[in-house]
Amino acid sequence: MQPSIAPSKKRFSFDFQFDVMWLIMGAIILFLLVFQVFPLLYLVFRAFFSTGSFSLEAFKRVYTYPLNWSALRNTLVTATLSMFFGVLIAFPLAWLVGRTNLYGKKFFRTLFVMTYMVPPYVGAMAWLRLLNPRVGNLNVFLQNLFRLESPPFNIYSVGGLVWVLTTFYYPYAFITISRAMEKMDPSLEEASRISGASPLRTLWTVTLPMMAPSIVAAALLVFVSAASCYGIPSIVGAPGQIHTVTTRIIDFVYIGSQEGLTDATTLAVFLMLIANVVLYVSTFVVGRKQYITVSGKSTRPNIVDLGKWRIPITVLVSIFAIVIVVLPFLTVALTSITVNMGRPLTMSNITFKYWERIFTRKAIIQSAKNSLVSASIAATAGIVVSLVMAYLLVRTNVKGKRIPDFLITVGSGTPSVVIALALIMTMSGRFHINIYNTLTIMIIAYMIKYQLMGMRTVVSAMSQIHPSLEEASQISGAGWLRVVKDVTIPLIAPSVVAGWFLIFMPSFYELTMSTLLYSTDTKTLGYELFTYQTYHSQQTASALATAILILVIVVNWLLNRLTDGEFSI
Amino acid sequence: MSTITIKNVTKAFGDVVVLKEFDEVFGDKEFVTLLGPSGCGKTTMLRMIAGFEKPTTGEIHIGDRVVSSDKTFVPPEKRGIGMVFQSYAVWPHMTVYDNVAYPLKIAKIPKAEIKNKVESILGVVHLSQYASRYPSQLSGGQQQRVALGRALVAEPKVLLLDEPLSNLDAKLRESMRFEIKEIQKNFGITVVYVTHDQTEAMAMSDRIIVINRGVIQQVGTPTEIYQKPANQFVADFVGKVNFLKGEVKEGHIELVGLDQSIPYDGVYKGKVVVAIRPENITLIPNGQGSLKGKLLTQFYLGDVNDCRIDIGGEVIRVIAESESYGALQENQEISLYLKDFLVYEDDGKDDHTSIIT
Repeated sequence: MQPSIAPSKKRFSFDFQFDVMWLIMGAIILFLLVFQVFPLLYLVFRAFFSTGSFSLEAFKRVYTYPLNWSALRNTLVTATLSMFFGVLIAFPLAWLVGRTNLYGKKFFRTLFVMTYMVPPYVGAMAWLRLLNPRVGNLNVFLQNLFRLESPPFNIYSVGGLVWVLTTFYYPYAFITISRAMEKMDPSLEEASRISGASPLRTLWTVTLPMMAPSIVAAALLVFVSAASCYGIPSIVGAPGQIHTVTTRIIDFVYIGSQEGLTDATTLAVFLMLIANVVLYVSTFVVGRKQYITVSGKSTRPNIVDLGKWRIPITVLVSIFAIVIVVLPFLTVALTSITVNMGRPLTMSNITFKYWERIFTRKAIIQSAKNSLVSASIAATAGIVVSLVMAYLLVRTNVKGKRIPDFLITVGSGTPSVVIALALIMTMSGRFHINIYNTLTIMIIAYMIKYQLMGMRTVVSAMSQIHPSLEEASQISGAGWLRVVKDVTIPLIAPSVVAGWFLIFMPSFYELTMSTLLYSTDTKTLGYELFTYQTYHSQQTASALATAILILVIVVNWLLNRLTDGEFSI
Repeated sequence: MSTITIKNVTKAFGDVVVLKEFDEVFGDKEFVTLLGPSGCGKTTMLRMIAGFEKPTTGEIHIGDRVVSSDKTFVPPEKRGIGMVFQSYAVWPHMTVYDNVAYPLKIAKIPKAEIKNKVESILGVVHLSQYASRYPSQLSGGQQQRVALGRALVAEPKVLLLDEPLSNLDAKLRESMRFEIKEIQKNFGITVVYVTHDQTEAMAMSDRIIVINRGVIQQVGTPTEIYQKPANQFVADFVGKVNFLKGEVKEGHIELVGLDQSIPYDGVYKGKVVVAIRPENITLIPNGQGSLKGKLLTQFYLGDVNDCRIDIGGEVIRVIAESESYGALQENQEISLYLKDFLVYEDDGKDDHTSIIT
């Protein structure tokens, strides 16, 4: 037997592994510091030191301007109402789909979750068509049906804005709530039943209170998403002169002057403040409570029998799904093949020239290419970061591993407009980095905003792999790298693919940041679609949107297949 | 030759010392069991032998090779050990064949030879017809055998087993005990086995090491451990036992608060604790024997009659022959004959009432 020569050599490599980890973590932290922390801090700094020395001049100017005030008010009002209605819709839906014998639960679940992956502006486009005060299809239909004197709805209103925001952000709440519902230990409810409580009473006295933290988290998520949304208010709100903070910020940036930039910054600080408070509350106040109520083990929830209500409720949910999901998507799809949008859709009014256009027009193809390239790079880089982070978080005790985790969470919680604005102000040469007008700045923005989704997916997959699976490989003689290659990677591969798509998809059709960061050579698909919708041809925009919808459906199907139907965001 | 030498190993996680000055040599081809309640440090010891944990101080040798000391540390993959995990740790993305073949692939053994070895080991663990299955298509017991096959395939000199049977049902557990023991004999390997199940330990081990709160309580053969437990903890943890406080007087022990005494001519003086195993008590007709009492309850368990008897203030457990069940009535006065009992000095430290079995 050999004594201690070989071991000491191996010991080196054991330490070496940790040195590499430190190095990679350092690189991630550095990246985040340069491209996220610094720009955001600078943004705040700029808002207070716009003239070189400390002054509240900019704040005074911005917040005394009536249009800005109404934008602030609109943002708060629409976000609050969307939050309220969103949760009001999401909770019963999550309960019905997760905990009852509703017909077609699985289908409904997939449908609602899928909406999450659809860009919100598609909803705005659809509802614009349906509820236009004069010619909206649904308006006309309802007016004829009930013999009304005037069309019942006007989409160009605060109410219209709330409606579209709600229909496109309730899935956020739905996903959060149903995940918590599935994770809840059913024996807690069984204990209530055995104590004599009816299913409804159990729901009221046990399920609901235990879900409270998740519901609050879901509500906050909807609130901040609705408040930082740009696509919907710019499409639905702008024609009716309804401004929100996001549309004002982008208007100010488009002015192009220093003063415009300062005003944008000052408004952005407000949005950032809201987002940070929400993030703080949901992570540190609500998030902590969640661990107490929800047991970690995967359990089979007990199913409530809806009895004689089974069919009526299924019908109700179906109607909801048709109105909220199918109708808008169908509208957009039909718009894309309509010649004259003022006339009914007959054979003579059908055309595929818009579809031909989106596949032949050079500008569109170029933009699609830009989006494909930047989204792919962002997803790939993001997933690499996610893998490293998952390894650090789950498998090591490296000091400070929580720092990049925290920064990534903050980045994702920051409104897109704020991220883009902060990047514009710091990355256009002022601090020796000039990546403005390049795809690089776009990729960085996407990573900051979306890589959290990838990270969460990979981390949860990694933490489900019992360490003994890796140890068994090690005791069989495999070194560190071999263990990762033979055991870790194959087991988390589906989640890695899923995580990749979760970064790729929103980046691919991203609108808000692209609107601020694009240049003539780096237009993106989202921006292209947006300009077609607003200025040129709604049909072309609809064709693009339908193409994106199809992609979303395919990817969703793919992810479901990959993860054996276990896939949930 | 594969002894395992553990020299004064202490392991602490931060301020918490989980294993204190562990010092023991496991002989070549010996079946050693680390036995103790959960959290006693037995699994930590096993993981230090495997190399998943580093001792805070002390040395571990496998054969005459130092695998862990202040200066050297051999990582698990270089120790040439087989190990079976409590959760089996069978890789779900590999077939049974691939799981078992894995250690050989790592060792870069030619394909043909791998095939031979895997097939022969699958035969040993009775899984030949399942070679192409995935773990999800196997029962718990079969997954267990895959884990065992994988641990054995590279013909290690040392096999570590971490509560391998705790997830199996009772019947399977019993048959696996004998299979593992059989394999150990045929392969001639040193086995370190971790369990909290005393029957498992008794059935398989050449030697048992009883651990509590990170400290070795006793090392001995199953008979020694059972018949001559070194202290109250061991007596209580291994097998069933009644504890009675007493005081040694001339030729007998007076039981505290019971107004009864039992004959004794041993070495202890003063306060003592008497430990009596339930099966060492025989029920005899009233008026004879060393203790008398009243039968409180009796449970017919098929092979035995499990009785609780009030001996005047303390309730003790007696395991009597099953035939006695029909002959006895509850609340009947009864006499007890002690076939054997143990006496421990009552230092007040080992409070037997705090150990619940």
